[in-house]
Amino acid sequence: MNTATSTLAQAAERPAWRWKKALASRAAAALPMIAPAHALVLTVLVIPAFYVLWLSFYSSTFGKAPSFVGLANYSHVLGDPYFWRALWNTVLIIVVVVHVELLLGLGMALLFTSGVPLKRFLLAATLAPYAVSEVSAAAVWRFLFDPDAGPVTQAALALGLPPLEWSINPAHGLSLIALLSIWLHLPFTFLILYAARLSVPAELYEAAKIDGATAWQSFRRITLPLLMPAILLAALFRYIFVFRIFSEAWLLTGGGPARTTEVVGVYLYLEAFRFNAFGAASATGWVMVLVSLLLGAGYLWALRRQGAGRGH
Amino acid sequence: MATNNGKAIKKLAVPAGKWLAVLVILLWSLVPIAFMVMSSVKPGQDIFAVPPRLTFTPTLQHYVDLWTRWGSFFHGLLNSFIITAGATLLVVAASTMAGFAYSRIRGPWLERSAMFLIVVRLLPPIVITLPLFGVVNHIGLNDTHLVLILLYATFFVSLGTILMRTFIDQIPYELDEAAMVDGASRFTILWRIIRPLARQGMLAVSVFVIVYAWNEFLFAFIFTSTKAKTAPLVISEMMGSLDGVEWGVLFAASTVQLIPILLFVLLMQKHLVAGLTGGAVKG
Repeated sequence: MNTATSTLAQAAERPAWRWKKALASRAAAALPMIAPAHALVLTVLVIPAFYVLWLSFYSSTFGKAPSFVGLANYSHVLGDPYFWRALWNTVLIIVVVVHVELLLGLGMALLFTSGVPLKRFLLAATLAPYAVSEVSAAAVWRFLFDPDAGPVTQAALALGLPPLEWSINPAHGLSLIALLSIWLHLPFTFLILYAARLSVPAELYEAAKIDGATAWQSFRRITLPLLMPAILLAALFRYIFVFRIFSEAWLLTGGGPARTTEVVGVYLYLEAFRFNAFGAASATGWVMVLVSLLLGAGYLWALRRQGAGRGH
Repeated sequence: MATNNGKAIKKLAVPAGKWLAVLVILLWSLVPIAFMVMSSVKPGQDIFAVPPRLTFTPTLQHYVDLWTRWGSFFHGLLNSFIITAGATLLVVAASTMAGFAYSRIRGPWLERSAMFLIVVRLLPPIVITLPLFGVVNHIGLNDTHLVLILLYATFFVSLGTILMRTFIDQIPYELDEAAMVDGASRFTILWRIIRPLARQGMLAVSVFVIVYAWNEFLFAFIFTSTKAKTAPLVISEMMGSLDGVEWGVLFAASTVQLIPILLFVLLMQKHLVAGLTGGAVKG
């Protein structure tokens, strides 16, 4: 009897046990508060995503019972030249858009911190495109670059430059999509880099100046290394988001002419909602998910590294 | 002498280069918007004038046409407003609660569930339209405000939670402890102490959701058709008539859709910067 109670007492004293109990009570306290956020994410994102995985192994269309086809949808998509074209276009757009944004954003961040005239107004102007919807921006783009009468086309002709024949030339169409995407998202990339630059202590530059460092040296040795985590983060963030590009392409070229300017998002949309090939669209969807997770693994890895660098 | 000259040139060249850069940034950012707004008040025949006409007699004709012939646009604006408000309330409420839990309660599985919220955000929106399209039709949610509110809220609740956690981390824990001594429950603490002090974070989260929900195209395109159609979708329909785009009316609609959100972004600039840096840098 005595020994039994003492063992119980000992068990209660055991830190692991207490720890587990504390954990359980903390879990009970946290659960109702994190429940709404998780309920949204589970019902709208996670369950549908797995349903798409299931769909991708079935042949299905509206009003027909789905039948299991194994990997046929995947082999269909991976054997479809239009898919590869769309993927290639997407990769091209990603490479151009993300790197141009980073370069311009970094340049602007440095320009802003070095002191610019009309700073407040300039910051407001820089952020303005962030407020413009993809639809309105695409409308303006179609107007400015109208092949016959658009102001930019006219200006190019007046300067003796070849105009963008974006409605007939795929390369021009893709350039226009990339340009629109950069215009819409540069404010965001710039803000991330600008905020990172603002958090670099000014003393570092003063110390470097005292030591006789040139502007280039302090950029190379202070700015760039200290901004690297933010640059990496912005880059991966944008890789993931440009990979799912849809609206800019859909609203500007609709994938045309003759499906030459499709991106993966547009390809998926057409398969699903125009050709009613839900199986093939689902397989495309899961290819997108896997690529996104791969990019995301890089993002999380960068996040961890940045966290470690900050010391938490 | 030569070095002196060089220095003088450098002194002049730096500000000149800066002014040039400033000018380029201004042109790049504002010219498309200026064309949109200007063309909306230009008489029809002047919109495509070569070279572009900077002086013209402004007219409100396109706005009158918009009002008389595109009633669906104003209905779309109302829908956009309802959906934006709903999604924002939902995101702010859900992410303040979750952010509070993640900030105050620690545990390995909680960390994992926070990570889960981020990882899930990697799923491309277009992928989940496939199964949701059928389900939404099946349960009769097609073309309703609710479906867009839920979708928009879901796509920002992860970022919202992470942001709120960062902001709530900056509220001293001693305040919670003092309230707990007085016997306050966690929900009382959240409502009485955290909510008023985390307003800055809630504003930052709202800015992101509001801009996204007001402008979103893909989900509105797939899940709404008439009743719950948002303003961007109506604008895309105006653009869709390939051979007969009425540019003046189209730009009038774009301008009406843009002005409120543009003013809002400019007004909330500070919170936008605060949101991107988790409140670490005061814009």
